[in-house]
Amino acid sequence: MTPAAQAVRPDRQRAELAALSAPAVLFTLGMIAFPVAYTVWLGFHAFSSTGRQSFVGLGNYSKLIADSEFWHGLWVTLALYILSLVLQLVLGVWLALLLFHAKRLPGFVRSLFISPFMMPPVVAGLMWLVILDPSIGAANYVLQAVGLPPSEWLASPIWVIPTLALIDTWQWAPYVALIVLGGLQSLPPSVYEAAQIDGASAYTTFRRITLPLLLPTIVTATILRSVDLLRFFDIIYITTQGGPGNASNTLNIYGFRVGFEFFNIGYASALMLTLTAVVFGAVLALNRLRGAVAW
Amino acid sequence: MSKDALATRVVISLMALGAATTAACAADFDWKKFQGKTVTFLANNNPVSQALLIHKGDFEKLTGISLKVDGYQEQQMRQRLVTVMNARSDEVDVFMSLPSREGEQFAAAGWYGDLSTVSKNEASKDYDLAGLSQALLKAATFGGKLTSVPLNIEGPILYYRTDIFKKCGVEKLATIKDVEVAAQKIKACDSAITPFVSRGLKPAVAYTFSNMLHNIGGSYMANGKSNLCSAKGKETLDTYSRLLRDYGPPGVVNYSFQQISALYRTGRAAMSFESSNELRTVMEGGERLKDTALAPFPAGDAGQVPTAIGWGLAVSAFSKKPDAAWYFVQWATSPEIQKRMAVQGIAPPRPAVANDPEYRKWIDEEPVRKQWQAALDVLATKGSSEVGYPIVANPESREFIGQAVQDLILKQKTVDQACADADRGLDALIAQK
Repeated sequence: MTPAAQAVRPDRQRAELAALSAPAVLFTLGMIAFPVAYTVWLGFHAFSSTGRQSFVGLGNYSKLIADSEFWHGLWVTLALYILSLVLQLVLGVWLALLLFHAKRLPGFVRSLFISPFMMPPVVAGLMWLVILDPSIGAANYVLQAVGLPPSEWLASPIWVIPTLALIDTWQWAPYVALIVLGGLQSLPPSVYEAAQIDGASAYTTFRRITLPLLLPTIVTATILRSVDLLRFFDIIYITTQGGPGNASNTLNIYGFRVGFEFFNIGYASALMLTLTAVVFGAVLALNRLRGAVAW
Repeated sequence: MSKDALATRVVISLMALGAATTAACAADFDWKKFQGKTVTFLANNNPVSQALLIHKGDFEKLTGISLKVDGYQEQQMRQRLVTVMNARSDEVDVFMSLPSREGEQFAAAGWYGDLSTVSKNEASKDYDLAGLSQALLKAATFGGKLTSVPLNIEGPILYYRTDIFKKCGVEKLATIKDVEVAAQKIKACDSAITPFVSRGLKPAVAYTFSNMLHNIGGSYMANGKSNLCSAKGKETLDTYSRLLRDYGPPGVVNYSFQQISALYRTGRAAMSFESSNELRTVMEGGERLKDTALAPFPAGDAGQVPTAIGWGLAVSAFSKKPDAAWYFVQWATSPEIQKRMAVQGIAPPRPAVANDPEYRKWIDEEPVRKQWQAALDVLATKGSSEVGYPIVANPESREFIGQAVQDLILKQKTVDQACADADRGLDALIAQK
């Protein structure tokens, strides 16, 4: 084969590959691009309660800036996000260390530890709704049995956010643990052997070696949980529907109600696109952090 | 012959002609006319549709029409409906609708097919449209068009424990003030019992609140403006929230029918102001069968004006098979099917069903069922279907009512602040076209 023919062959192969994969790529792009473009289009329109639509340009976005419920929803979303994330990372890392070091733990106990995140959120929400019911729930029974005063849990405007964060943490800390456990198992044993020879204590080993080496894994878990937490919906909808009052009315819940209960699809689209921008912003920032802590 | 007499004769002749034509149509009525077609029914998966769909096979056998059921929980059903209707899709032929909630809105959007003509001209001889509750038919009529046909009648009623009343020396409840006095006595007499429970969940409050507002003599609107800050409006806000705050269960702001019925059924509440539809749930297990009495909510200054609403069956304006769809609506709302649903605890919107021997036998089996029927009779005769504001944005208006009540239960605002904030938001809503 001449050198010229050899040069032509990869080009032809590339062209053939492109032609063969084009339908799948176009289909996938279409499936992603069309809903996004349609939502953007909806966000530029106002819909009356009777379904009539009119072009309002950026009207929905200027309405959003003046809407106190939007700012409240943003605040609730961020408060719930930060509280849940911190709890899940701390408990997730702790649980991962426990599972990593407790080598003799029976398989079913390990499965039990990580089982909550396999439960559908609707089931988890209903279960916790019953447990936390201030009148007939088991949670207050336990509190009172140990001499503590009963709580109103999800019915208290003060406690509703911490309670929701606890429910989400119960469900998703094991997922963080599973990711971190994978990271722990991939750490090089030689580093630990060297630390042992140098006489490093368990705490120093954890603080100076394990944690820094685990940081990329933890950031990955943070990104995955951030995307979910900023869009937190199902458990809130099942348990409080944004209440009491509007104490747990996250942006996602607010947007859902505006769109599907009050039928203002245009404004709901603007709200959801703003939430998407917040999620993207968080993911981009965390991605940068991941790059900085990579080793 | 005078002009008036002539006009009267003409009208009578036309009525006779109309009646004859209708009778002829009824005589010609053929249930198999749309054999082989498929009708898609978007159903709210609640006790009403469950009781109806047990007989689905009978409809298919009678008509030869295949009934495709698309069932969801209430909120999810509305989401699906909004999506389908906004797309003007013919995917749904028949859907369940609450005229008191979305009637104005859906009618203004043009989503309802007009059933006025078919219900008269395309009905079997035993259909008896006039036998349906006229109040519910009126509530489902918008701009002169009949938009849905009622499947049931329901409204909030008071379930109360006769044994606790006796133990705590509570007399018969005649007025709203008596309810509060009873709650006080029960609280003092048995601290383990929740004296009174009703809806506290924000979007659910309007259902029971409206009954109290109308009994007290209040109205949602006056002169085109929101009227919650009127003396009667404030009295209702104060009374409703005080009953729940001082005598209700902890966490009542998250209470809707599920929690209320569970609390009452397990014997932890003395009075429950909840839907008549909950009879079956409340009596499940039989624990409450002998110690419960039922009544419409006691009178206020305006007497008893109970809330009476009903789920209706509507034909989609975008259906390509509206005639076959009407056959399903007609079958489901016929005297025979409504009688069958009634003995499953679904209150019939046809008063005549109450006299049916089979239904009477079911009613006579338990005293509590007799009281249930008596309360429903009051609902049917005195009821108002106004739940929330009579405006297109009715669902959103319920949020403001619920918010005001929750603000008071949680002591976050005074009555004046809560009603003023609600009125401000509601006036903006009323002003929307």
